[in-house]
Amino acid sequence: MTKRTKIDARGAHCPGPLMELIAGLRLVEKGDEIEILSNDKGSLKDIPVWVQKAGHALANIEELREYYSIVVEKVKT
Amino acid sequence: MTKPLSIILCSEEHEKIQMAAMTATIAAVSEREVSIFVSMGAIFSFCIESPKGHRFSGGTFSKFMLEKNAPDALDLLKQGKEFGKLSLYVCSMALDITGINEAALIPNLFDEVIGLTKFLADSEDSQLTVF
Repeated sequence: MTKRTKIDARGAHCPGPLMELIAGLRLVEKGDEIEILSNDKGSLKDIPVWVQKAGHALANIEELREYYSIVVEKVKT
Repeated sequence: MTKPLSIILCSEEHEKIQMAAMTATIAAVSEREVSIFVSMGAIFSFCIESPKGHRFSGGTFSKFMLEKNAPDALDLLKQGKEFGKLSLYVCSMALDITGINEAALIPNLFDEVIGLTKFLADSEDSQLTVF
């Protein structure tokens, strides 16, 4: 069963949210998901680009009222 | 294969060190090999206790970064080393000129003391940028 971990990186400045995502991905198993919350507008473009380059998968991206929710599936170990 | 990135960091200005650290770390975690050569005034920012009494020199933007708790440049470099292929070298000339001992530098950050000739020779196939 897919496990999802939420990381609240709201308030962190670039590249804080990305670094928190990378650190989080190291702690979960292949197939698990990380949901990262960020109010850094750059994350909306930066994180998907990194996810693709690093070989993981973007499961969902949502623009909420004052922040973004980005869900990443760990594909590579 | 992506071209490796080589950075010569010689400024002690917070803005430049921050930008170099961000560039190096993001490149390193994006599967790019990164090497940084720390020389000139930048060396003061990498001392356990800076001889200048403060870690960074900086202007208005530096004040904003400190007030807004922007990620610390040296912490970013540590993360770049941990999560990617990032190497840091300290310039032998900068150590000689300042009299700073290797033991006075922040531990577990630098890979080696080298000269500019060696760094340039190792960077022949890299994209080279100076901060």
